[in-house]
Amino acid sequence: MPDIQPIIYFENVAKTFPPDHAVLEDINLTIQAGEFLSIVGASGAGKSTLLKLIYAEEEPTAGEIYFNGRPLSRINRKHLPFFRRNIGTVFQDFKLLPERTAFENVAYALEVDGKSTEEINQEVPEILEIVGLGGKTRKFPRQLSGGEQQRVSLARALVHRPKVIIADEPTGNLDPVSSSDLIQLLLEINSFGTTVLMATHNKNIVDKIGRRVIVLNNGRIAHDHNKGKYVLN
Amino acid sequence: MQTLKLWRTFKEGNDNFRRNGWLTFATISVITLSLFIVSLSLLIGIVTQSILQNMRDKVNVSVSFNPDVTEDRIMEIKNELSKYKKEISSVEYISRDDALKQFLADSGNDPIIVKAVEEIGENPLLASLVIKAVAPENYPLIVEQIKSSMFQNDISRINYAKNRKIFDRLDYINKTTKEVGFVLGTLFIFISILITFNTIRITIYSHRQEFEVKRLVGASNLYVRMPFVFEGALYGLVAALATVALVSGVAYYISPFTQGAVSQSFISLYLDYFGYVLSGVTLLGISLGVISSAIAIRRYLKT
Repeated sequence: MPDIQPIIYFENVAKTFPPDHAVLEDINLTIQAGEFLSIVGASGAGKSTLLKLIYAEEEPTAGEIYFNGRPLSRINRKHLPFFRRNIGTVFQDFKLLPERTAFENVAYALEVDGKSTEEINQEVPEILEIVGLGGKTRKFPRQLSGGEQQRVSLARALVHRPKVIIADEPTGNLDPVSSSDLIQLLLEINSFGTTVLMATHNKNIVDKIGRRVIVLNNGRIAHDHNKGKYVLN
Repeated sequence: MQTLKLWRTFKEGNDNFRRNGWLTFATISVITLSLFIVSLSLLIGIVTQSILQNMRDKVNVSVSFNPDVTEDRIMEIKNELSKYKKEISSVEYISRDDALKQFLADSGNDPIIVKAVEEIGENPLLASLVIKAVAPENYPLIVEQIKSSMFQNDISRINYAKNRKIFDRLDYINKTTKEVGFVLGTLFIFISILITFNTIRITIYSHRQEFEVKRLVGASNLYVRMPFVFEGALYGLVAALATVALVSGVAYYISPFTQGAVSQSFISLYLDYFGYVLSGVTLLGISLGVISSAIAIRRYLKT
């Protein structure tokens, strides 16, 4: 492991799906706290799988992943829910609970933590205000636009004050204006010290951000540039 | 904090229960139907048993004594018989006068018969002991014992032979209904478990996308599962109450048809059992709902 403890560290990680479909091979990756990292690559290059390994939705077939110096393989399955509260996740399909309002969706993340109703009533409106949904707390997901739904999902990811935000194709279902708004929000969040990992297809966005980019090709890291551009080969 | 979480999962289960509208209605209907079929077979069991019990109470063996046997002697025999408490439930003495009164009453005090009896000049009927056995299968034994006892010479006749067919028939019906009832009851309970399980699985299937979301924001498996367990309990509870209402309706409806076949009116017999019916069906309903939910959700709860 490197001298300065990284927030996330991949050590010779491989992931193979049965029977013998190798999705990731020989991944060595160090991510320092406070970085904004874009992961690009063609469909099926292994971007989502790499992210899933971090929030322990999948387990590596070989190698080890460390979160804050702690090997994930040592985390008891029963403690996974607690571990996941360190990480906020945002997805292309928003993954909101359809029967709950914007407020209730965000509140759910605090409810599972056993937070008191007073805390919830105070923190949820604040965070919804930050993502620009102050006036729409009582709307159900179906009453919101795609961009608004994604901001609810971002608010939910943030409400724990996680160390890391993982965004898997967050702009995949959004129009260009909403996309650029969302990236702006992610950059702002990053500027307060939260590590952001984003997998994306969107060349314009990656080029505009101008931060670290890793390129995945056939399950391997093909490029890793600190002020990267979107290149596939 | 645990209480707060428990309350939240209960509230969510209750919300799902109320928000799902048609699905809730369909689920409750199916569980009600299952519970109703099971309760109905129980109800039929109770009716059959009480009809049999009533018939059994009406059969007896009557031992008539020769006219020269004194009342003291008969009472002596009665006391002797009363000692066999395991086999004999009651022995009743009917004097010659009582027998005559009963005979005249049975014939509706028909003046011709009354006249005929008067013409004879003396009471033509015999004194008797009416013996009721604890269980029908005891009758042959009792009759054998009396026939070979020391007072066999006092006996004019025993009207057992003509009752024998009734005893055998009753015995047979009793055994058959118990066996058939047990097999059918087990079968229905098994079917209702399957139906309930499948129905609840469908309601859970309609929520399947939520499980992933909930786990991703850090909900434990238990926290994801509890609302469905509560929801299942609510389905079971409401279905049980609906079932009890239905069964009570049926009991009320069939009560007049059982008049005479059972000792008390059937509805009052049912009311005697009402506490058991209510608690039994409720317990069955809630366990069905809870167990079905808990099992059905398992496949969605990988970590």
